[in-house]
Amino acid sequence: MIQKKICMLGSFAVGKTSLVRRFVENMFSDKYLTTIGVKIDKKIIELKNQSLTLVIWDIAGENGYHQIHGTYLRGMSGYILVADKTRTATLDSVINIHKTVTQVFHKVPCVLFMNKMDLTGQWDVQESAIDKLSHDGWDVFRTSAKTGENVEEAFKRLSSKMLEK
Amino acid sequence: MADSAADEKGRDGMHTSDELNSLRTLILAPEQLEITELKERLNDPAIRAEELSRVIAEAIVIRAATDRKLATALLPTIEEVLRDSVKRDPRFLADTIFPIIGPAIRRSIAESLRAMVQSMSDTLEHTFSWRGIQWRIESFRTGKSFAEIVLLHTLVYRMEQLFLIHKETGLVLQHVAAESIDMKDADMVSAMLTAIQDFVNDSFSAREDSSLQNLNMGELTIWIEQGPRTVLAAVIRGNPPSELRTILKEILENIEFEYNSALDGFRGDAAPFEPCRPDLVYCLTQAQKTDGRTSREIAVPVKVKGKKQGKEKGNEVLFIYIAAALCIIIVIIGFILSIQ
Repeated sequence: MIQKKICMLGSFAVGKTSLVRRFVENMFSDKYLTTIGVKIDKKIIELKNQSLTLVIWDIAGENGYHQIHGTYLRGMSGYILVADKTRTATLDSVINIHKTVTQVFHKVPCVLFMNKMDLTGQWDVQESAIDKLSHDGWDVFRTSAKTGENVEEAFKRLSSKMLEK
Repeated sequence: MADSAADEKGRDGMHTSDELNSLRTLILAPEQLEITELKERLNDPAIRAEELSRVIAEAIVIRAATDRKLATALLPTIEEVLRDSVKRDPRFLADTIFPIIGPAIRRSIAESLRAMVQSMSDTLEHTFSWRGIQWRIESFRTGKSFAEIVLLHTLVYRMEQLFLIHKETGLVLQHVAAESIDMKDADMVSAMLTAIQDFVNDSFSAREDSSLQNLNMGELTIWIEQGPRTVLAAVIRGNPPSELRTILKEILENIEFEYNSALDGFRGDAAPFEPCRPDLVYCLTQAQKTDGRTSREIAVPVKVKGKKQGKEKGNEVLFIYIAAALCIIIVIIGFILSIQ
């Protein structure tokens, strides 16, 4: 069975842990996030007639890459950037994180989760900004950890990108 | 006019070149001869083989005394040769090992009998002594098996789990565990152990070549051995002997050597590392106190949870037989006494 390490990156309270909770079945307690800044979860998926074990490193939310323990990203096969649809600053933050990660780890597959799509009345990020990112080649998924919208699909998209690489 | 001048110049040039060649031959002739000889020796496989044959025995002895890498490198070839030999003519190998089969079987039977007698003696002691009764009550109270309670009280150390981890990704390459232990998902534990090491290194600005080597929690110890591309983490209950750490180091070195190309090309598939499993299982040992002595024995690999394990089941059956025999003896004694 193939195993892949993936990392969840994004600002504080964008819903990374909730997204992981929605997706996986085996989890460590959330307390590790506040103690050592990372929590490991695991999910086995079937993709292209083979089993794939995703070992998900849910990294504590900070405002920029430099505040993240860089060593936690070492050896990752892919990463997920999570932004909050109700806070534009979180999108700017993940764009910056992406830039820095790309400089350090060349051509590692990634997808962007535009999360909290269920909070329709509080949307802050402009649709045009998301469309522009898609146009620029980003894999953007509009997700909701609360309803489960697109969560499975987004993880599978990243998985197939990792297998193609 | 011009042509004749050119001819003369050409003749002069040839003359100078010949002189230079003669001079080179005079000065460098012995070295050139040596170089030619060396080239011949290097290019001729027969000569190379002859020269190698003069030193190969000594080289093998020296390398075998240094480490286990020679044995590891030769192992697949020897296994292949043995397999081919058996395929071609099984009688040849049977005849060769015939003289040692008898003593080996006798020794194995003697060892099994000794272990059985020891086990019976232990069971009787644990069953009828005050301490044994206390442990049985503890077993009923905690819901753990009697064998497990006995083990916990008499244990010197037990190597419970071994994780072979890919250093860069934190992915588990192999995991082995002794039977009847409570364990979490190996993939997650392996990644978390890697994260803890990263956390310690980052937080305390440790030097790049330094690393976390021990974790202690109550009676549990985690030894972490670092190789260039792999990490071997051993979960041990009790007080392990220091020589166990040396064994772990050697095993890790062998894995780094033997799986060099698999580690270089690792992309998440742990299947190529399956053959190193026996080496890891070899480390799953335990030592128990028996009458003040310490015995060392091998713990078997973990079995499927939920099934009652053979030895434990055997002990339970033995206990029932002994209890039944005791009841019969008490009844007989009571009957005799009542007659008298």
